[in-house]
Amino acid sequence: MAHKQDKTSMLNQGIFIFVYLAVLTALEFFVAISFNSTAVLIAVALVKGALVVYYYMHVYKLNAEHEGDHDSYEYKTGTNRLGLWLFLISDSFVFGGLLVMRMNLLGLTRPHLNQILGLGVTSILLISSFFMNRGETMMANGDRKGFLNNTLITFILGLGFLTGVVFVEWPLAAHEGLTPSSGAAGAAFYMMTGMHAFHVLTGLIFLAIVWFNGRRGLYDEKHYPTEAAAVYWHFVDVVWIVFYPALYLIGTAIV
Amino acid sequence: MLHFVVVGILVIVTAILAYFGVNILWPLPLAASAQAAPIDWMWNLQMIAISFLFALIVVPMLYSLIVFKRKKGDASEGEHIEGNTRLEITWTILPLIVVLIFAYLGAGTLADTRRVDPNAMVVKVTGFQWGWKFDYPEYGISSNELYLPVNQQVLLKMESRDVIHSFWVPEFRVKQDLVPGRVTELRITPTIPGDIYKVRCAELCGTSHAFMENPVIVVDDAGFSAWVAEQQALAAGAAQTPEGRGQALSVANGCAACHSIDGSGGIGPTWFRLAGSEVQLVGGATITADDAFLAESIKEPQAKIVAGFESQQMPAYGFTDEQIADIIAYIKTLR
Amino acid sequence: MKRKYTLGSGFLFLLIAGVVGYGIGLGLDLLATGRPHFSAPVPSAFTILFAFTAFFFGIYGYRGITRGLVFQIAGTLAGGFLITGIRLLMGLQAFGGFFFTEPAWVLGGIVGAVSFLFGVGVMSDWVKWARGIDTPEFHEDEPGWEKYLGVSLDHKVIGIQYTVTALFLISVGGLFALIFRTELAASGLQFLVKDMSLFGQNGPQLYNTLMSLHGMIMIVSILLGISGIINYVVPLLVGAHDMAFPRMNAFAYWIAVPAAVLLLMSLVLGGFDTGWTGYPPLSAKAPVGMQMFFLGVFVAGWSSILGALNVIATVIRMRAKGMTAMRMPILVWASVATSIIALTATQLIGLSFQLVMFQRLLGMGFFDPAKGGNPVLFQHLFWFYSHPAVYVFVLPGLGVISELLPVFARKPLFGYRWVAMSSLGIALVGFVVWAHHMFTSGMNEYLRVPFMYSTLLVAVPTGVKFFSWVATLWKGKISTETPMLFVIGAIFVFLLGGLTGPPNATVSTDLHLHDTYFIVGHFHDTIFGGFVFPFFAAIYYWYPKATGRRMSEFWGKVHFWLMTPSFLILTFGMMRIGLLGMRRRIADYDPALGFDFTHLILTICGFAIALSVLVFIINFFRSIKHGEKAEGNVWNSRSPEWQVPSPMPAHNYEQPFEVVGEPYDYGLPGTKYVEFAPAKSGRH
Repeated sequence: MAHKQDKTSMLNQGIFIFVYLAVLTALEFFVAISFNSTAVLIAVALVKGALVVYYYMHVYKLNAEHEGDHDSYEYKTGTNRLGLWLFLISDSFVFGGLLVMRMNLLGLTRPHLNQILGLGVTSILLISSFFMNRGETMMANGDRKGFLNNTLITFILGLGFLTGVVFVEWPLAAHEGLTPSSGAAGAAFYMMTGMHAFHVLTGLIFLAIVWFNGRRGLYDEKHYPTEAAAVYWHFVDVVWIVFYPALYLIGTAIV
Repeated sequence: MLHFVVVGILVIVTAILAYFGVNILWPLPLAASAQAAPIDWMWNLQMIAISFLFALIVVPMLYSLIVFKRKKGDASEGEHIEGNTRLEITWTILPLIVVLIFAYLGAGTLADTRRVDPNAMVVKVTGFQWGWKFDYPEYGISSNELYLPVNQQVLLKMESRDVIHSFWVPEFRVKQDLVPGRVTELRITPTIPGDIYKVRCAELCGTSHAFMENPVIVVDDAGFSAWVAEQQALAAGAAQTPEGRGQALSVANGCAACHSIDGSGGIGPTWFRLAGSEVQLVGGATITADDAFLAESIKEPQAKIVAGFESQQMPAYGFTDEQIADIIAYIKTLR
Repeated sequence: MKRKYTLGSGFLFLLIAGVVGYGIGLGLDLLATGRPHFSAPVPSAFTILFAFTAFFFGIYGYRGITRGLVFQIAGTLAGGFLITGIRLLMGLQAFGGFFFTEPAWVLGGIVGAVSFLFGVGVMSDWVKWARGIDTPEFHEDEPGWEKYLGVSLDHKVIGIQYTVTALFLISVGGLFALIFRTELAASGLQFLVKDMSLFGQNGPQLYNTLMSLHGMIMIVSILLGISGIINYVVPLLVGAHDMAFPRMNAFAYWIAVPAAVLLLMSLVLGGFDTGWTGYPPLSAKAPVGMQMFFLGVFVAGWSSILGALNVIATVIRMRAKGMTAMRMPILVWASVATSIIALTATQLIGLSFQLVMFQRLLGMGFFDPAKGGNPVLFQHLFWFYSHPAVYVFVLPGLGVISELLPVFARKPLFGYRWVAMSSLGIALVGFVVWAHHMFTSGMNEYLRVPFMYSTLLVAVPTGVKFFSWVATLWKGKISTETPMLFVIGAIFVFLLGGLTGPPNATVSTDLHLHDTYFIVGHFHDTIFGGFVFPFFAAIYYWYPKATGRRMSEFWGKVHFWLMTPSFLILTFGMMRIGLLGMRRRIADYDPALGFDFTHLILTICGFAIALSVLVFIINFFRSIKHGEKAEGNVWNSRSPEWQVPSPMPAHNYEQPFEVVGEPYDYGLPGTKYVEFAPAKSGRH
């Protein structure tokens, strides 16, 4: 597939992909509350994940040929991309392990959770990915102001997600009797959301660093750090794309 | 060509010698169960294969080291042989076939060890830190020794009270873990009567794991009936007195695994001459081991700890007050 | 003004700080419990930490590793007191049996490890980057040995740091083995008796702790050892001036140091009696030492993961011109195969230990059947790493064998492609065999047969390696210098390990063999054959490259001929008594089994191996100054690193090289593997 790399088409692509993601999320929610087909939920999550991995995380950039000197910035950026992706592959084994744990302990049951809140935080994180993509695209095309604004929005949304999970969802669940020590469901829920929240937190720190450095005037020529922050942020989003159905949608809720 | 002939002969000779060597070096223990036969058969087959493969690699290797050793002052290079695809394919495919055959035979012998006898006698096995208890639901008796009638299949239904243990009698070969929260099963048909066997916990289970060995006694049918009758009579008699009931409780809960009844050292204080004695507590105070102290120590083991036993925590067992009184009555008889 | 540091001042400081640390620990213990425990965990922990730190202060001053250790101590105390303070405010129990409570120790351990990294200075470039400050690509190292005790970005320095740390940990793990080997020399408890108390443990508990730590410390030392070889050699083999990510390379090394400290702290903080496998529910009940163990393994795991990431990136991105995949040296293939496993699967052991950690801290019921948890799940997660881990340990060693054989046989490696692909084959099959550790565990029974098939399949690519090695030797011109001796020893010992594998992989025979000394003998064979022998071979072989001198041939041969027979007797004996009924991991055995004599022999062999390693270590350090000069192509190798004079210059090859031939075309006159670009000035 050929990719138009100019700013406008990249931004438009971001919007299209976001619309797809939003529709799929709505579909997922609808499937879960109406006829609860695990197969469909898994398929939808995989499609959403693939969309983000391809269009927001630009996995295809790994294939780019870098001519010339091993010490040139372009060549090193290629190496850095590879390094980041290797790290993400490694990290995804943690989340894979958590999913295995959840499937083994809970099977086709799930913890009883607030559905509206779940959909809410999921939407916030998805929207943040959209703005992240805009910010990264703008920086790559030399639009510093656009980058700063969009990254700030991403940061605020990310903070909102973190607050929603850790300071709203956790106390609510605990109030309803789902605590870390209440049983397998509680253990799986807090461990999975906690591990994800920890990654969100590190992502926020990463965003803050590139935002401050961007404001200081860096990244005109060497803007790989902004790309790395974005790819990491989208990765955290992909994890949630899988965890959301695993915790909120698949199976029947147990109290 | 001569090289190949010599190596070929040496491989065969070495393989035969290796097979005999392995049998001397690595003997199996007495095979005392029906389940041991297929396992030992499989083992023997593996040893044949291993001896041959050992010779196949080691002989040409040592032969090369001796025959193709560089002479002093010789600076020439070896023959330029890059490889041989046909040979590589051969030694990929042939081992693959051998491996598949062995896996197939392995599955077959596994099935042989799992033959079900519908009339198998059920014994409930409980593992705990650090001992075993065996309940015979058909006869209503329990024991810390596993008595088994010869040539009759026994179905062990095994549970663990605390951590993972593993049931293993080397002479019976088969092994199965006891996992907390579930019942695992093992079928054994003892074939040789005797009292030399011991069930040895094979899964590390804490401080006294090494000592978690209880006797296993295989007897003929008459002997088994006699033992059952004896145990039933003992149990009936014991149930009449507090100390008898206390002793039964102590067997059922494996108290002796930590508290010896003959004054020897253990993980916990010995019960021998304990009642009424002066004991020193952690912190230096002394206290008389009266009924109140013993009762408290059983109920809340961490309340007062005897000096020298700080490093082990005794679990709470949840006995009723009557049971505790029975156990104390039993402890008082030990002097 | 520069102070002159010596070993003497190091030991002097060690003594003083040891006494001071003991005093502080005893004081704190007194404060918390109201009475002094002279052999108790807390004074011991402080003694070790202080003495260790002061030793480095004495020989090196307050920088590098010393600063890191000071930060780690401060960080541990800060984290511990933070939780203690919070608990005091919340009205919870503030002090525990080991001065701090368990949560306080856990946070202390984490904060301590992170503080170490800041203290040692490995984070400083990244911190600068985060603040928008650029740093130079290279840092010049100090001359002499001092660069090894501080942060260096040079892969060769890091490789040597890894190797020496690995040797240190091998010595510690070996020392533990000698202690419990002596205990086992006769039946009955000898000195680890029930009524002793050291570090808050009685004899059998201490036995279990030492045995468990022997396992994990050896595993960590193996991971560091292979990282040492790979770090030093792989960039040289592919013609790179360094690893792809030099800072992360340094980070991956330095994070292993606090991991080792945490592991050693687990010994004194009450220990843990679970074996290195840490199966719950037993590990959910063990003392605080268990948590230190989990943290140590977790942190060491990150070292392995990041190291592996770096290796893959280096091999993919930094190869010299002309080095196509099928012209890479075979060790590079092996390193990639091992790194693929380490990069991915390591996360699972970290996760499984984390889950137990949280089960202990917060009562989360992952593996607690009373809360709907599943103890067997832990074993699945754990073995998903821990079985492939053995391929992580042995694949680089097998790569070293394949790399060295052609040099000493003066013949091409037989079937290069097949050997290269067999490494990948072993790595990939290795991902689907983990449950063969669980044939008796009570997992779903229908899983047993498929896992038997997949496990036995590992024999096929391993067999390809063996046959190719033998064919490489055939009709060669074999010379048997020390590295070659160890290569031959490696093949022989690994063969024994490999051949004793299938009986364990076959379910029916494994029902008898599982958890016995047969297994212990088997895996010591595989690890010695796959790691220890090749590791020594690699050190003897590349030592001249790093130092410009050779290690003594004579003492090298003494090392080999002392270690090999002792080791063979040791593992044969282990397997013999294992078959006859000797269980794994027991502090004592039934005298009725009649194993006393065999165990005595095994103990003597254990000491002989220790002696041989001592010979090696003395040879290693002595040869730095006194070894025979060897600055040229000592082994007459075709490999690029030997085409330039030793020791290797700081930035590797002054002229880039191009690959113009096959790596192992020995015996084909007029061919070359690499050709260096014409020199701009002077050399070549």
